[in-house]
Amino acid sequence: MYNFFRSLKTTVWTLLGLVILFFIGSYLMPMHREVFSSMNDGLLFDWVENVASQNLWQTWWFFAALAGLMLLTINTLVCSWQSIRERWSRHDFLLRLSPQIIHLGFFFILLAHLLGAGWGYRLSGALPEGASAPLPEDRAIVVRNISASVDGNGSLTDWSAAIYVLEKGVRVKVGILGPNQPLFYKGVGFYLKSLSNEGMPVAHLMVNKDPGAIWALIGGILFMLGSITLLALKWKKA
Amino acid sequence: MDYILFLLYPLSLVRPRFMLPALALHAFLIVTSALQFGRIPLIGMHDTLGFLAFAIGVIYLITAWNRERDLFTYLTLPLIMIFLAGSVVSPPVTHGMPPVLKTIWFELHVILSFVSYALFAIGAVFGLLALYDDDVRAESNQYRSLLLGYVLFSIAMIFGGIWAFLAWGTYWLWTPKELWTTIVWLFYGLYLHARLVRGWSGPKVTWMGIFGFVIVLFTYAGVGLLMKSSHEF
Repeated sequence: MYNFFRSLKTTVWTLLGLVILFFIGSYLMPMHREVFSSMNDGLLFDWVENVASQNLWQTWWFFAALAGLMLLTINTLVCSWQSIRERWSRHDFLLRLSPQIIHLGFFFILLAHLLGAGWGYRLSGALPEGASAPLPEDRAIVVRNISASVDGNGSLTDWSAAIYVLEKGVRVKVGILGPNQPLFYKGVGFYLKSLSNEGMPVAHLMVNKDPGAIWALIGGILFMLGSITLLALKWKKA
Repeated sequence: MDYILFLLYPLSLVRPRFMLPALALHAFLIVTSALQFGRIPLIGMHDTLGFLAFAIGVIYLITAWNRERDLFTYLTLPLIMIFLAGSVVSPPVTHGMPPVLKTIWFELHVILSFVSYALFAIGAVFGLLALYDDDVRAESNQYRSLLLGYVLFSIAMIFGGIWAFLAWGTYWLWTPKELWTTIVWLFYGLYLHARLVRGWSGPKVTWMGIFGFVIVLFTYAGVGLLMKSSHEF
């Protein structure tokens, strides 16, 4: 059993299986929008519980891909463990370390997805100037003012909304939201998605708490560092 | 001006390094477009196909600088011309950058993506060379192209994730385009691992390196045309 999990053949076949499953998924997703359209709306686990598990004919590939990713994760960790246990020499230290850094980065990225899929929250709504909305953890968001600029053709070139966050009724964070400019408070992100004019300017907001995000960033950095090091070493060798 | 490129690029048929004037003009056109619209010229099919042709040309020139005209040129040049033709017939985007795209993360994401696509293209050409001549050096060049392409593609995906998180609060969405991007990433990961497995290495892996570019092409153009996604190209 241990040999199965540490085998490169397991890696290769699992990757091939995942490629095929994602291919099937990309074909089924647009065909069954009624099942998949809500996949990105909230927590993935909620979608799995309420939608995916009731529509297995359309979502079986998703569950099979999860199983494949689980197998790949175990395979990755066992391979790295095996490599770490072997005797290392100073001569090939970096060459043997860098794949393990890549594997660790990959593991953190998957861990991030797991955390983001099961915990946290994602809320969307529209608020006009001066309006407020309650949030989990005894917080609230208030929109102070909204502004937009347009070019000569009437296209929006920029927009922003000044907001503040209340916690237990006390103002704890003030900031301006804009495109690619969220505001963060205690792991919660506040986003301005777009603006509309419904007699008065209205901000379309999203509030998102993703406990996996920081792990995805750490994983991404590790993956980059490991792969750049490996590239430099392998490039010479090849 | 774009049409002059169709005359200049084929000069590489005389000698590979004669592609330099075509690349110099192409670089000038890209920079001019960037200055004209105040953004990186990588929005829509016109821009991206043109940039892909240019990136393949640059990698070709670096790789073939000391080569004589050979099958490598005969295979790469048509690829450049096809992408260039696709760029010329596609309508250009003539407006500035939408606010959500005005970030360095987007620019790096797109530039690195297309440079990696170009490396995948060159890797596929080297694969064909390796199969045609049973050439070990071509196989090694295919590996180096695809390894570099894979690393840049991975970095492009990480930067794309950072951008998406800052713009929309999520670094990943379950859409067909994202699935196909993951397919590309997994497939080249498969290529890199399969090289190390007895029974997979050799022509089988070389073919994988060639087939990978077909997946890249579908991910780039096919998914955008056939499937709705957050990506428009």
